[in-house]
Amino acid sequence: MAGSGTAHMRNTVDSVLTVRDLTVEFRVAKDKIVKAVSGLSFDVIRGETLAIVGESGCGKTTLARAVLQLPPPNSGEVVLDGTDLTLLPKENLRSARTSMQMIFQDPISSLDPRMTVHQLIDEPLEIWDRGTRAERDERINNLLNNVGLEPELVLNRRSYEFSGGQCQRISIARALALDPRMLICDEPVSALDVSIQAQILNLLQDMKDRFGLTMIFISHDLAVVKAVSNRVMVMYLGKICEVATPDALYSKPAHHYTKALLDSVPIADPTRQRKTELLQGEPPSPMNPPSGCRFRTRCHAATSRCAEQEPQLQEVAPGQFVACHHPIV
Amino acid sequence: MSSLLSVRNMSINFDTPRGSLEAVRGVDIEIPAGTSVGVVGESGSGKTVMCRAAMGLLQGSNVNRSGTVVFDGHELTAMSKEEVRNLFGSGMAMIFQDPMTALNPVRRIGSQLSEGLRVRLGMSKADALARSKELLELVRIPNAAAVLKSFPYQLSGGMRQRVMIAIAIACNPKLLFADEPTTALDVTVQAQILQLLRELREDLKMSMVLVTHDLGVVAGNTDYVAVMYAGEVVEYAPTKKLFADMRMPYTEALLESIPKVDHKSGTRLAMIAGRLPDPTDRGAGCSFAPRCKYAQEKCRNEHPELKKDLDGHLYRCWFPIGEAK
Amino acid sequence: MRKFTKPTWFAIGWLGLMMFFSLFGWLLPFKPWNYVFEDDLEVGLFSSGHILGTDSNGYDLLSSAVAGTRMSIFIAIAAVGLGGLIGSVLGISAAYLRGKIDTVMVTIFNVGLSVPNLVLALALVSVLATNVDINQAVPTWRRVMVLIISLTIVLIPILGRIARGATLSWSGREFVTAARSMGMKDSKIILRHIVPNVLPALIAVAFLAVGVVIIAEASLSILGVGIPDGASWGGMIARGRNDLEYAPHVLYVPIVFLALTVISTNHLGDVVRSKLDSREAKV
Repeated sequence: MAGSGTAHMRNTVDSVLTVRDLTVEFRVAKDKIVKAVSGLSFDVIRGETLAIVGESGCGKTTLARAVLQLPPPNSGEVVLDGTDLTLLPKENLRSARTSMQMIFQDPISSLDPRMTVHQLIDEPLEIWDRGTRAERDERINNLLNNVGLEPELVLNRRSYEFSGGQCQRISIARALALDPRMLICDEPVSALDVSIQAQILNLLQDMKDRFGLTMIFISHDLAVVKAVSNRVMVMYLGKICEVATPDALYSKPAHHYTKALLDSVPIADPTRQRKTELLQGEPPSPMNPPSGCRFRTRCHAATSRCAEQEPQLQEVAPGQFVACHHPIV
Repeated sequence: MSSLLSVRNMSINFDTPRGSLEAVRGVDIEIPAGTSVGVVGESGSGKTVMCRAAMGLLQGSNVNRSGTVVFDGHELTAMSKEEVRNLFGSGMAMIFQDPMTALNPVRRIGSQLSEGLRVRLGMSKADALARSKELLELVRIPNAAAVLKSFPYQLSGGMRQRVMIAIAIACNPKLLFADEPTTALDVTVQAQILQLLRELREDLKMSMVLVTHDLGVVAGNTDYVAVMYAGEVVEYAPTKKLFADMRMPYTEALLESIPKVDHKSGTRLAMIAGRLPDPTDRGAGCSFAPRCKYAQEKCRNEHPELKKDLDGHLYRCWFPIGEAK
Repeated sequence: MRKFTKPTWFAIGWLGLMMFFSLFGWLLPFKPWNYVFEDDLEVGLFSSGHILGTDSNGYDLLSSAVAGTRMSIFIAIAAVGLGGLIGSVLGISAAYLRGKIDTVMVTIFNVGLSVPNLVLALALVSVLATNVDINQAVPTWRRVMVLIISLTIVLIPILGRIARGATLSWSGREFVTAARSMGMKDSKIILRHIVPNVLPALIAVAFLAVGVVIIAEASLSILGVGIPDGASWGGMIARGRNDLEYAPHVLYVPIVFLALTVISTNHLGDVVRSKLDSREAKV
C-alpha cells in the first residue's frame, strides 16, 4: 500500500528518530483488519518537539506505541540514532528502549498503586544498575526536585495519595531517570484540570530545555499543541494530512481537515464566535477506509481524482507539506 | 425576566471517613427563563454536585443538604421524592458526560427511548417507537431506523451523546442540565453537538444549564456565566460582560492559563501556581488566596461575601480587578 | 487494630481454633478418636467423660471431631494451595503472553470446568485408591493423596480463570507499558507488578474455595469414597447415619463443626474481597 510520501522528511544527520513506511494493523475477526497506521513516514530532529495531532481513531497513540515497539509494527523501519529498532534482537531492544521514554495520558494508572514514589523512580535505575544505593537515592531526590516535588514529602507515599498533576510530575521524574534522548508524551495533560495543565506543560518545556530532550507530543487539543511544538503533523485515519510549523498551520492551513479542526476549536471570546460550516458526520471505520484520500467522504472539495489516487505530501509553502489534490491556497 | 430555576443558599456536605466534605457552600443561582447559563469550574468546585442537588438526584445517607430550590414556582426541596420525580422529563432533564455509562448497555436504543414516552406520556408501544424515530432524526442521527435497533456499544461516542440528548428532550423539558456533555468527545464532534444544542434550544424554547470547565465552550453557547471555585459561586454575569470585564482574579487567571489557538507559539503559558483546594479542609479567608497573585492580608483572613455591581455583575473578592486595589 | 465486626472476630476465632486442632490436636489430652468405649454407647451431650457424647459404636464424638479437623483442613488447604499455585501460574502467563498460548489455556480451562468434581473424584479414587479385593483396606495416605489430586484438578481451572481475568485487567494498565518501555524483562514485570496486584483477588476466592473443598471432601466421605474409617467429618456423618433416629447428636456434632468452618471461611472471603474493593476504589 502506498504511503503518504516522504517529501517532508529532512534527511539530516541531526535526526534523532526517522520512521519510514510504518504500518500497524490489527486483526479483530476472521476477515476484519483495523488499519490503524498505513505507511507513515516522519522524522524528528535533535531538540525539536514534533506534535502529532488528530482525533480519536486517527492512529496517533498506536503510532507512538509502534515506535517504542510495544508491540512492534507490522512493517516499516524505526531508526533511533542510527539503529533500526525493528531489526534488533530482543535483548538489544530492551536496552535500546532506555533512550526513549513515554509519559501517558492517565496519570494515576501510569503508576503501580502498590509501590511508593521512591520505589517507582528507583525501578529504572535498579533494572540497569545505575550506581550504588547512595548514588541512586541522590539521583531520585534530584529528579523529584527538578519536577517541583519535595522529596521528604513524597518519597514514602503511594500514587493514590496524590492529585493528577502530582502523579504526572512523578511520571516525568521517572521517565527522566534514565537520561533518555527522546520523550514521547501521549496526551499528557488531557486528564488534568485546566488550571493544572499549564503547570505541567511549562514543566515539560523546562525539562526539555534543561536536558536537551527531543520530544514527540501527541494531543487532540490544537491549542495545547501550539504552545509547545516546533512542528505539527496532522493525522486522519492512519495517514498524514499536513506537516508544518505551528504558525503556518494555524494561520494558513492547507488541508481541509486541518481547517475543519481549527474551525471547531471553541474560542474563549464571545465577540469572536465563528459562523463557519462545521464538519459533518463521523470518521469512517478504520476497517474499511475510503480509497484514495481517506478524508474525501467528508470533504466538500473532493473530486473523482480524490477517490482514485492517494494524494502524496507536497510542499505548498516553505516548510509546509500537505497531502491533498486540492489544497487550500 | 422571571426565574425558571432559583437556587437559594444551597449548602451540601458529605460525611466521609476523613471528615466533613464541603462540596457546595451557600450557593445562590438564578436561571432566567429562556436562557442558557454556563457553570464553569474545575474538580472540587462543586458544580456537578450542585446540579445533581438542584435536580433532586443527590442521594445517600451521608448527604447533608440545606437551602431551597424553586423550579417553575414549585419548591423542590419541600416536595417528596415522588413529586420531584414527576417533574423529570417534562420539567427538567439531564444529559451527562459519559454516554456509555448513562445508557443501559443491554437494551436497544429504541427501547430506552420509548420507555420515557410510555411511562411519562402514556403512549402506546407503536406510537412511542414512531416518536422515537422522529426524535433520533431531530438530533440528526442518520439511519434512524437502524439505530433504533442497535445497542449502545455499536455506536460512536458522538452518536451516543445524540441519543442521550434525544432521550432528554423526548418529553419537551423546560430546562436541560448538560453536565460536561462534550468533554469526552473529539473537538469536531463537540462542535457538532454544541451546535445541535443551540438549535434545539431555539426550536423547543428550552432553557439550559451548561456545566463545563472550558471557557471557550461557554463563550459561544451561553447567555450568562457562573464561575465556581471551592464550592462557591465566585463570579456571575452575562457572558459578554464577564469576558469583557472580569472581576475575579481566578477567572482572569483561568482565561490566561488556557492555551489558545492564536497564542504566540513557543512562549511560556501563564500558569496558576498551587493546587486545587481540599474540600475537607476549607480554611479561613478567600479560598483562592493561596494561589492569587493579587492576594493581600485581608484576603487570607476574611472570607469575602458575594457583592453585586450596578449592572448585576456578581463577584466574591475584596479587591476585584478593575477597581482601585 | 482495624475495626472488625463481631461476626468477623468469630470467624477468625473459629478458624484459628480449627487450625490449632489441625496442627496440635493430636498432642492434646483428648481421648483417642478410634477407641471404642464399650461401656458408653450412645451417650448424649454433656455426659461425664464425653463432653459431646459418643455414637452407637462407642466412639467419642469430641475426639473424632478434633481428629477430623486434621484431615478436612489439611486436604482443603493442600488442594486449594496446589490448585491455586498451578492455576495462577497458568492463568497469569496465559493472560500476559496472550496469543495462541492464551487460546490453548482457555480451552484447557473450559474443558476442566466442565468435569463435575465429585464424579472425577469418584473415578480417580476407584481407580487409584481401591483394591480389587474390596475387603482389603487401602492405606489412608493413599486415599488422601488421590483426593487431593482430584480436587486440585478441579480447582486449577477455577482459580486459573480468576487469575487470568485479573491479569488481563492489570496488564492493560499503563504502568505495565511503562515498565516495558523501561526495558524490564517480562518475567520481572509479572513478578513485581502483576502478581502483587492479582494476589488479593485470588486470596479472596481461595477462602471461598476452602469452604467448597471441605464440603466436597465431606460429601465424598459420606459416599464412602473419601477418608475411610471416619477420620474426617464426612466420615463421622457416614458412620453416624444410622443413629439419626435415636441419637441425632451423633450427626449434629460433625455437621456443626462443618457448617461453622465453612461459614467462617466464606465470611472471611467476603471480608477480604470488600477490603479489596474499597482499596480499588481509591485507585
